[in-house]
Amino acid sequence: MRLVPRIIGQSLGIVALSALFAFAVNAVRPDGLPLAQAAKTSSGAAPSAVPPAQASGEIALKDAALLFLSGRAVFLDARSQYEFELGHIQGALSLPTRNFASDFQDLKPLLSGKDAVIAYCDGESCPLSQALAKHLRDAGITNVYVLKNGWSLWQAEKLPVAQGQAAPASKAAPAPKPAPAAKVAPASKVAAQVAAKAALAPAKPPAPQMSKAPKMSKDDAKAKGPAKGQEKLCTDCDN
Amino acid sequence: MHGLRQLMPLPPRAADFVLRFALALVLFYASADKLLHPQDFAAIVKGYHVLPGSLVNPVAVWLPWLELLLGLCLVSGYWCEGAATLTAGLFAVFWLLLIVSWARGIDVTCGCFSTKPAEPGAETTPMLFYIGRDAVLLGLALFTAWVRLRVAGEPEA
Repeated sequence: MRLVPRIIGQSLGIVALSALFAFAVNAVRPDGLPLAQAAKTSSGAAPSAVPPAQASGEIALKDAALLFLSGRAVFLDARSQYEFELGHIQGALSLPTRNFASDFQDLKPLLSGKDAVIAYCDGESCPLSQALAKHLRDAGITNVYVLKNGWSLWQAEKLPVAQGQAAPASKAAPAPKPAPAAKVAPASKVAAQVAAKAALAPAKPPAPQMSKAPKMSKDDAKAKGPAKGQEKLCTDCDN
Repeated sequence: MHGLRQLMPLPPRAADFVLRFALALVLFYASADKLLHPQDFAAIVKGYHVLPGSLVNPVAVWLPWLELLLGLCLVSGYWCEGAATLTAGLFAVFWLLLIVSWARGIDVTCGCFSTKPAEPGAETTPMLFYIGRDAVLLGLALFTAWVRLRVAGEPEA
């Protein structure tokens, strides 16, 4: 047998046999590597720094703010329509828990394509956001998070908020003058980051959300004319 | 065989066995840690940034087994012409990869013999050390293959 064909034949045999052993053993060992789905984690962009679902289904304010800034989350206000009108997270949709059955179908299309659906209400022990999250999960929405004490924390950090939106003009609470982003009191790092982001890139995610504001809630969608433009920016809304 | 006889103090067949055995030891040592810690080795393979993501895990699974089988072939004498040549080729690929990574400025963990990540804050081994060490191993593998092929080409006594 000549050397070159022998070397080639033996090499191919070794490669094939080692591959056979490798993949067979990998398939049965408990710490074997996933072969088919490796591409998802091993290539492309780095995974998001925002942690996925925690056991409790809650999301930290910093993570929620990050998702807000990048336009990857939709916020659902579980409080009453009245409280929503007094002030809410900018771009949030009003979905009071007791109106879930009637309002959800209208809002459902707005929840798709987002990394997170974040429910919030107000107060450490407020049950509305948890109840809303449960309704959403029961309705098949998987990426639901609760921002515990969301409204108070959001305001405390001077993150962007809005007023009005769905209420007729006569009932709308008088909105304070919009505070320029640059003048936001640097009460916290998160607020400062949001302010800086807003100042640098006014047309970035938060702004488009504002432009979508009129179709953010069912009532608003119905009340086409008068409701438009009702949502007003404020960073120091007093509830 | 004259050149071989002049180079080696041992008879060619004895030199062939010693070299194959030495190379097999290197391969066994190299494969052991990778076989035990496939996840860590996959992270090292990924760190070289030469394979598409979908190939990282298959290669990380397969490579240690290839090294192990090459070592077994070299020690046992079965398929050892192919094993010696393939080992030389494999070491050449590793050596080139290290050089390319060094040239690209990628600070890779060698992953040559250990999958253990460097201690944070600890002084890292310079890439040139790995390149030099792999050059020595490549030399050993090439010499082993050359001796083996010479011996295999020798007419049976």
